[in-house]
Amino acid sequence: MPELSYREAVRDALSTAMRQDEDVFIMGEDIAEMGGSMGVTHGMLEEFGKERVRNTPISEMALAGAAIGAAMQGMRPVAEIMYEDFMTLAAEQVVNQAAKIRYMSGGQLAVPVVFRTQGGAGWSPGAQHAQQLEAWFVHVPGLKVVFASTPEDVRGLLWSAIYDDNPVVFFEHRTLYPIKGEVPQEIEPIPLGRARVHREGEDVTVIATGRLVHESLKAADEAERDGISVEVVDPRTLQPLDEETLVSSVKKTNRAVVAHEAVTRMGFGAEVASVLQYQAFDWLDAPIERVGAKFAPLPFAPVMEAFVVPHAEDVLAAIRRTVGK
Amino acid sequence: MATEVILPRLGQGMESGTIVRWLKAEGEPVEKGEPLFELDTDKVTQEVEAETAGVLLKIAVAEGEVPVGQTVAFIGAEGEDVPDLPSPAPAAPAAPAAPAPDPASNSLLQAEEEPTPAPEASGNGRVKASPLARRLARERGIDLATLRGTGPEGRIVAEDVERAEAAPAAGAPASNRLLQGPVPAGEIERVPLSNVRKTIARRLTEAWRIPVFQLQASADMTRVNELVARLRERDPDVRVTVTDVLTKVCAQALMRHREVNAEFTEEAILLHPSANVGLAVAAPQGLVVPVIRSAERLSLTEIAGVRAELVGRARENKLRADDLEGGTCTISNLGMFAVERFTAVLNPPQAAIVAVGATEDRVVPVRGETAVRPMVTLTGTFDHRAVDGAPAAAFLQTLTESLEDPGLAL
Repeated sequence: MPELSYREAVRDALSTAMRQDEDVFIMGEDIAEMGGSMGVTHGMLEEFGKERVRNTPISEMALAGAAIGAAMQGMRPVAEIMYEDFMTLAAEQVVNQAAKIRYMSGGQLAVPVVFRTQGGAGWSPGAQHAQQLEAWFVHVPGLKVVFASTPEDVRGLLWSAIYDDNPVVFFEHRTLYPIKGEVPQEIEPIPLGRARVHREGEDVTVIATGRLVHESLKAADEAERDGISVEVVDPRTLQPLDEETLVSSVKKTNRAVVAHEAVTRMGFGAEVASVLQYQAFDWLDAPIERVGAKFAPLPFAPVMEAFVVPHAEDVLAAIRRTVGK
Repeated sequence: MATEVILPRLGQGMESGTIVRWLKAEGEPVEKGEPLFELDTDKVTQEVEAETAGVLLKIAVAEGEVPVGQTVAFIGAEGEDVPDLPSPAPAAPAAPAAPAPDPASNSLLQAEEEPTPAPEASGNGRVKASPLARRLARERGIDLATLRGTGPEGRIVAEDVERAEAAPAAGAPASNRLLQGPVPAGEIERVPLSNVRKTIARRLTEAWRIPVFQLQASADMTRVNELVARLRERDPDVRVTVTDVLTKVCAQALMRHREVNAEFTEEAILLHPSANVGLAVAAPQGLVVPVIRSAERLSLTEIAGVRAELVGRARENKLRADDLEGGTCTISNLGMFAVERFTAVLNPPQAAIVAVGATEDRVVPVRGETAVRPMVTLTGTFDHRAVDGAPAAAFLQTLTESLEDPGLAL
């Protein structure tokens, strides 16, 4: 199996779709000559030209609106929002328009648009360029939300997002772009709404997203040395949520930790915890633990940034609390 | 409300731990994460940290062995009231110590089995249990109120319910199980380990690692029997026994061969100044070894009095910790079961134990003729790190000579 970086895997999904389907195109700030601020679309201008790799003005609201309009006209646009912090500027179009049009038109109109965006701490970008705002969009009926953590997943999920007839907000994590992983020779679409069990275990289930999937796997290795068997599950699609996989895992292990880089308060993990406590109440042997960032804006200073966001040791501490040792 | 400090489970399978000492005093402020006390488990000694900040209001267990999940202290705001502990608290400070057997002590086990701890309940009487534990208890018909929680903050978790199911007669003395009628053939009966049993197992396993040797010698008990008969005639209320004579002559032999009245330590061999003779007694809850102190200074009737009282208390399970401490040598007698001879396992830190068989008529040569005499065979087991063969043999020789001629022990 070939090996791709997470960045290359995103590019491969975009390029492959564009090669075989004229309806697919990409647009965003500095995505053409510059290849995007994270280099994801590097080289695509040369292959596909200015019509299909479109630089936009610096207005997230305008570019989101244009993408939604194109989708309503039958195209499959993929709009890049440079930082998910800037999704706040696109929010009116995403939340009030994209999410509502299919419903308000009585199903006459579909909006097959993807908003690709990225965020995440670990490189001192400060308070305005590294937030994890996925929970904001999970809260809106009418949107699908994806957060992929590996090269294989990001490629297969982006493919499914492009070909979903609903608007999808597609989150990538800044620090995952360089990680490498094996991917199938041909793109294998990963259906939206299906979780991935990264590691099976008996004593506690860690449900993690994005960077925290990798931190949780590290924590699980560490816990294993103390005889604690940890299952690590990545929902991958936050909306719709694969409740069945999460609940059956917790019914098996009787304990759960939810882990994400976003702040804990009102985070995605709160929703997961609620789903679990309701559907697996009589199987829980310990309170569900939540791991997330401290409730503070991200500091620039690296040591302070590292203090605010969670790491493997925070997941490990939560694991230990649930098993009581 | 003050927060309870619970004895934590530091590893899988940990049932209890021994509080060695407190690093904070009552009334002292405590930060979250600050070391509170030193805890000794069967694996390690480590400092246990405070989980909340506040003032250490009360230390409920100053030291000694405590089951996992038990409240050992309270942290709260200064001047705050501390809730009463459930009574009887398993190891409340005032209770006569049921301490972890001190390796330096001579007792094979604790005097009393710990009472079944009262179930943990919060102020309003509600039992704290996880949803899974509640479901399991419901399905298996187990009353949660009878369980002790070992989870965080004393919560009953699934493991506690499963343990209770494995041992349905939780807290009932193991011996009562024998009265419950015949066990259906083909089923393994599971007798949960009592604390006494655990202590016996642990101490004897330790003892098994000590390099020992055995020496055997027999003695003609004619004169001892005469002596016992005379003493009983003279003082029928006391009822001196052969065991009392054995205790007395053993004590005298120990004082004459002090290298046997010894204890091996890593730095030195300790020679004890008096002979504290332990008697292995089969008590209902298991083997116990109460000690007759300074037996070399007591008369036979005095020994008989002390022995009768100790054995009586042992059979009623009423021995105190100090009844079991300080022994320097043990006598184990299985003569009443017609055992001819046997070897006993050392009772550390003592360097010697004497196994006494039945006194039985044997044909023996006496001055070139065969004669029938009441003979007993003694088998000494010795800690070879502390004692060599020759001094041990000399001790055994003194013992048999004194039995054959009790006057020599005077």
